[in-house]
Amino acid sequence: MKNKLILTTLTAFTSIALINCGGKDGGDEAGAKSGDATAGSASLGAGTEGGVVLETELPDELIEGTPKPIKLPVAHEDPTAAPQFKVPEGTVLLSKGKPVTSSDDAPIIGSLDLITDGDKEAGEGYYVELLDGLQWVQIDLGKESEIYAIWLWHFHSQKRAYNDVIIQISNDPKFEEGVTTIYNNDYDDSAGLGKGGFAPYAETRFGLLADGKGTKGQYVRLHSAGNTSNEMNHYIEVEVYGK
Amino acid sequence: MNDPNTSSQESGFLSRRRFISQSAGAGLVLAAPNILKAAEKGGSDKIHVALVGFGKQQEVLFAAMKNIPGLHFQAVCDISDWNRKKGMNQVRAHQGSAPEAYVDIDEMLSAEKGLDVAVVATPDFWHSPHTVKCLEAGLNVYCEKMMSNTIDGARAMVKAAEASGKLCQIGHQRRSNPRYRYTFEQLINGQKIAGQLTNVQAQWNRSLGASQDIGGKKIPKGVQVDEAILNQYGFKDMHQFMNWRLYRDLSGGPISDLGAHQIDIFNWFLEAQPKRLYATAGKAYFKQREHFDNVLCLFDWETKYGEVRGFYQVLTTTSSGGGFWENFMGTEATIKTAEIAATSAIYRESGAPSWDDLVGQGYLKKKPAPPKPAATAGAVASYESAAPEEYDLPGGLPLVTTKDGKVIPKPAHQPHLENFFASVRGQATLNCDARHAFESEAPIFYINESADKQAPIELTEELLSV
Repeated sequence: MKNKLILTTLTAFTSIALINCGGKDGGDEAGAKSGDATAGSASLGAGTEGGVVLETELPDELIEGTPKPIKLPVAHEDPTAAPQFKVPEGTVLLSKGKPVTSSDDAPIIGSLDLITDGDKEAGEGYYVELLDGLQWVQIDLGKESEIYAIWLWHFHSQKRAYNDVIIQISNDPKFEEGVTTIYNNDYDDSAGLGKGGFAPYAETRFGLLADGKGTKGQYVRLHSAGNTSNEMNHYIEVEVYGK
Repeated sequence: MNDPNTSSQESGFLSRRRFISQSAGAGLVLAAPNILKAAEKGGSDKIHVALVGFGKQQEVLFAAMKNIPGLHFQAVCDISDWNRKKGMNQVRAHQGSAPEAYVDIDEMLSAEKGLDVAVVATPDFWHSPHTVKCLEAGLNVYCEKMMSNTIDGARAMVKAAEASGKLCQIGHQRRSNPRYRYTFEQLINGQKIAGQLTNVQAQWNRSLGASQDIGGKKIPKGVQVDEAILNQYGFKDMHQFMNWRLYRDLSGGPISDLGAHQIDIFNWFLEAQPKRLYATAGKAYFKQREHFDNVLCLFDWETKYGEVRGFYQVLTTTSSGGGFWENFMGTEATIKTAEIAATSAIYRESGAPSWDDLVGQGYLKKKPAPPKPAATAGAVASYESAAPEEYDLPGGLPLVTTKDGKVIPKPAHQPHLENFFASVRGQATLNCDARHAFESEAPIFYINESADKQAPIELTEELLSV
């Protein structure tokens, strides 16, 4: 696979989360060692100069259950507002209602169409749960498009971080040729798709916004490998913005 | 089945505590369960498990049980298609074969042969009927706390467990948490590190965001349960089904849902039941809810230390004070326990004997002294107590290797489930059997009543006994 890594990420950090630091694997629940893989990782840019701020309808906060300590390789701050990121005028939501396929064609619960149904609420019935291990979902935009932003909500009714979040764009539905990686926080290359430069993050209602950089492609593929609460993979919604 | 000198046949905190302190980690064989007999005859030594209810809490338990070898998940029972399908598929993903699925527990118990264990994680008002049915069907039961939404329901569970001779563990998972066990057995009782315990205090403060109704703006079609089925199983509608913790007929509310975990630790560590309590409570924010959204309760105990007073609060409108923890305050130390290591610590009073020897022997690890605060205007230095030294509280959860080879901290519920399954195999004794869970939970059933009446309640033996 030919990967081209674009080192930008879009998260708005303003308050410190109560999250322990530690490696993806191992360490006790109080582990506090800083990893070096993601230190100084890229942060949100301003987006397109002269563009318009990308806006979306954010879901309400709804936290369920007892919080579980989570371990991230670097100190992390939670957003308290949506990121202010500019995209070219005329950028629209391309992914609403578009077909989704997955490496797990028989989800544990939910269905793949939930990923592009426009509903971002937390809780039962709003997410699809995929098998454990490295899994992907893929959105077919129907035609090649210029992609300026991808907004992603894995699961936000519990504070947790998903492992090996990687977002790729290609015109090849098999992602064997012409693959551009626009976001990768797999700091130890455990997914085998290359080492990423972005910091793992905790899920919130603000989601993760990744800079598409105008990358051209018909397909968007998103990877993950379980999370800090359990081994499974979840998606509530993915929004692909472009022209 | 149980040794009459131990476990559920034994009554009284002191005898229980003495037994635990003598047997912790020893892995005593108490009985010769069918599992062992089957294995001796060349049969399978797998424990065949029924998952009764597959909501959020069962998911948590299942994630922990997946790490325990020797379990076969034979059946899943839930009235919700969504929950049942999720349970079936999670089990299939784990063990390669789907379990049998049932809407009704009676149908499951009638149809399924060879079940050894039921893990009950249904709404509180179903705990007692489900547990009793499973015990009477000859299954050993692990049931989530609170035992029931009524004290009579909890009493029925104790009676059923003792009549059946089967094991019944209640899900107060801190009873098997290494940090809590270490604190109780090694530090409080072993080293008598706190001196005379005189006061206890705990809180579970939960933010508004974590206290909202479940189900959001609209309940997705796939999650909806047929109204006739809801009514048949005691729910008025989907809101009740998804938010049963908010209804008085279905649960004890926040003091039961959250407070029970920590009030159990009070009673466990103090080795006593409170003699009286007085609660005040209200609906400061969620005015339409049946249950209080904030409860504050005072307790009096007569203990081996003498009189002990305590305070507990559960607030569902703020996370103030760092979430959830318990403080045990003695003349020589204060011990702050919590499931989260970062919130746990032990503080030595300045006049207490040095702990250098304990540090040297590996019992404790001293934390670096915090920077000295600047003198404040108006403070009279000679009146101020010296800041207590802070030490780490050892005993964090060990690491566990998952099926796909990842090494993660052991899930918080896993030690308690391990203790249960080891007990089913006859290799341990329960850390929280039904009788002792009842003794600890019994006072909690009177807290809402005290708040309703705005009056203290004397907790007589009659009120607190089975």
